[in-house]
Amino acid sequence: MKAERIVKSDLALDSQLEHVLGKLLHYGTLLASAVIAAGLILVPTSDAMGVRVTTTGIALFILLPVVRVGAMLVFFLRARDYRFGIIAALVLLIILFSYLVGAR
Amino acid sequence: MWLFAVALATSMLGGVLGMASGIFIVPILTMFGRIDIHTAIGASLISVIACSCGSAAPFLKERLTNIRLAILLETATTSGALCGVFLAGLIATPVLYVIFALILLLSAQQMLARRKEAIISLAGDTGRWSALRLDSSYPERAPNREVAYSVQRLPFGMALMYGAGVISALLGIGSGVLKIPAMDTALRLPIKVSSATSNFMIGVTAAASAGAYFARGEIVTLVAAPIALGSVVGAVLGARILMTVPNEKLRLMFIVILLILALQMMLAAFGINLLGRAL
Repeated sequence: MKAERIVKSDLALDSQLEHVLGKLLHYGTLLASAVIAAGLILVPTSDAMGVRVTTTGIALFILLPVVRVGAMLVFFLRARDYRFGIIAALVLLIILFSYLVGAR
Repeated sequence: MWLFAVALATSMLGGVLGMASGIFIVPILTMFGRIDIHTAIGASLISVIACSCGSAAPFLKERLTNIRLAILLETATTSGALCGVFLAGLIATPVLYVIFALILLLSAQQMLARRKEAIISLAGDTGRWSALRLDSSYPERAPNREVAYSVQRLPFGMALMYGAGVISALLGIGSGVLKIPAMDTALRLPIKVSSATSNFMIGVTAAASAGAYFARGEIVTLVAAPIALGSVVGAVLGARILMTVPNEKLRLMFIVILLILALQMMLAAFGINLLGRAL
């Protein structure tokens, strides 16, 4: 009986997370695409400005999955699921390390 | 403009066949566009992220994505990507072409073989990994029921995911070619769950390497931007068409294209460019 209740609350929590992540990725994609489109429209009139805006849009796309992992980290910690909290933190660390290697 | 069109077309096709378009973007950019392979890889990675993020929401809504399994496997794919970023600086361009050709051949072979539904382990026999609470269930439309599944052979799956991460970073592809068999045969997941979970993970894997290339200044804005936009639009349109099962002729045509691209990439490794000269 108790086990069943745990599974149920687990499912409820997971579906809440699914909902949040779905929204985040959907609107994130829209935002990044809009910034890129705006930048590309600007390019013919003002080259430097246009390229800068477009590059920002690309950076937004690269950051979007990272923000997604960050959101999962916060969610797991708040749900007191420390095992998966650590796993999410590990993924963030690996990505950060990859950026440092790249920037070196 | 033509970059946008290429990305639109390939992403639509990719969406229809349920595979990432990255595998077409790099060969097309290098062969027809005469774009440097590293620039093509950078642009392709951005398109891979865009496709993954843009198509994730419906899968999440349908509860097909196994989020816990995804984040666990992402430790392996991002480590692989880190390794791939490191290798990319060391591997000579001709070798890169050869590896790409091999992956194209592998995809062609996979398309030919078709995916078979793995023998799904029912949730009753909880595997050795039940402590991680990875086992889950997903709703099946017809017949309307809840299908439970459990995750098998996790270490083997993790090892394959690491390899998929390396290839993704090295070639700028989503590596669905490697991720999906890893999930079907090693972890024994239902096809719908492995497709959705693989798609979910691809974005993070590509973001790990794309960020590194971005920091290195290897991502050329005016090449990557139209490709990314085209991919988003293409993926959305493609997913609509995916609802109807791809027919045999389309599949065969795809296999032929993959084989031609593989041959061309192989020749390019030795400095021969047949298609590019014709244009």
